[in-house]
Amino acid sequence: MRSFKDHNPISVFVFYIFAIVPAMFCINPVLMCISLAGGVSFRLAKDGLGALKKMLPFFAFPLLGVILNPLFVHKGVTPLFILNNNPVTLEAVLFGLTLGAMICSTVIWFSSFNSIMTTDKLLYVFGSVSPKIALILSMTLRYIPLYGQQIKKVRQAQIVTGLYKEDNAIDKIRGGLRIMSVMVSWALENGIITADSMSARGYGAGRRSRFTIFGWRTADVALAVLCAALGVVTSVCMGIGHLAFEWYPEIVSPGMSAPAVTAYIAYALLCAIPTVLQIREEARWRSLQSEI
Amino acid sequence: MVRIKNENLRKTLRIVVPFVLIPAVVFAGVFVFKENMYAWITVACVILALILFYASFDKKIVGTRRMVIIAVMTALSVIGRAVFSVIPAFKPITSIVIITAIWIGPESGFLVGSLTAVISNFQFGQGPWTPFQMFAWGMIGLIAGYLGDPLRRSRIALAVYGAFSGIAYSMIMDIWTVLWYGEGFKWELYAAALATALPYTMGYAVSNVVFLLVLGRPFGEKLQRVKIKYGV
Repeated sequence: MRSFKDHNPISVFVFYIFAIVPAMFCINPVLMCISLAGGVSFRLAKDGLGALKKMLPFFAFPLLGVILNPLFVHKGVTPLFILNNNPVTLEAVLFGLTLGAMICSTVIWFSSFNSIMTTDKLLYVFGSVSPKIALILSMTLRYIPLYGQQIKKVRQAQIVTGLYKEDNAIDKIRGGLRIMSVMVSWALENGIITADSMSARGYGAGRRSRFTIFGWRTADVALAVLCAALGVVTSVCMGIGHLAFEWYPEIVSPGMSAPAVTAYIAYALLCAIPTVLQIREEARWRSLQSEI
Repeated sequence: MVRIKNENLRKTLRIVVPFVLIPAVVFAGVFVFKENMYAWITVACVILALILFYASFDKKIVGTRRMVIIAVMTALSVIGRAVFSVIPAFKPITSIVIITAIWIGPESGFLVGSLTAVISNFQFGQGPWTPFQMFAWGMIGLIAGYLGDPLRRSRIALAVYGAFSGIAYSMIMDIWTVLWYGEGFKWELYAAALATALPYTMGYAVSNVVFLLVLGRPFGEKLQRVKIKYGV
């Protein structure tokens, strides 16, 4: 049993696709609540109560929706009050709230996505589509810190040779441009040397193989299949139209038909997966500790 | 690793994806889902287009040297975005993409543009807008590559293309802003989004012109030198 983030990146990626996409494009308050609850509880389980403070700014989105949407949209049959000769309607307020909740939940899911899917994991996902592009990606990621160090070296060498004595802006800008010019030449030459060294070691001579530390265990496959199945059920029910709210001119709820309930349950189960795995892992860790 | 070994299957896929899959996604989106799914459909189309481009480039980039130069230019433009991130809307990415495209080739321009979007978003935040940025910068590079000859010859043409691509970038990203609002594409909303983004659009256009005029020649000379010296 491993925690959610230690599963195969492709399984984790599949989860995020199905957790985020339906939430993002079906403006249904029930789905929004499920999505928000899932995203928030996972962050709390993963990062502790401190994460609450970090997530607080995201809750400005529902607030903004409530304020901004009625200012621009005057459709709806239930006017609450009149502002500048324009009615502020209940429908517009509620739509704004739901839309804001949707943006909020998307941002919260992405915040955990960004901390879990580190660059090496994304590289693994990309690499299964195109090995050459994955190689370019990983080289680029290596070059970024390398160039930072090289810029420092060039700068120090130039200071030692007596440049940058005067303390004025023009001198600094010219110095910056000079360093940049040096860097570009050096980066290109260095790249060519890298390329030649790669060819000399046989790159491109045969079929590409690649090294990865991520394997497929039963739990990884199970996670991917489960996420895909729950996600497809949700999407299909959504597609048949049993979840679509009508907001204007009057709110018409799709009601609790069987497909709608199925979709809610499937989506709730999907959103609960990472939190459950996280809590299980932690409970297991604690019980192992106490036995020692 | 997902690799399609069968040559025929690969060829079929290359035809199936653009002519069947993308229209299928559009039609399915319009007829089955009916409302509030525009953004979904667009994201799906953009991702399909990107997969298509990447799959075709995987064969086209021949030579280790060209591949490394793409990595070098991508790293430089990612660093450029980070360095200038303090000034809003003032970033050298587009100009570096254009310079790479006109000197190395359209495919390289596309790759540098789209990879810069992915990699620099590790720092600036990934989101559903990432495929759109990839597509916008990629296309700017691809078109610059096809216009390589006139852009290499005249600095004025280069500056004009830079200004144009700044505006185009903003317009592509605003389509996304409107779709994300969830009510489908409406011209009034799009006009409003364009109007509020006007300072940014101006910033993109101006910064592209400035960077292209400042960097265009020295960068070009260096790339050409490497090209002649090493025969990339």
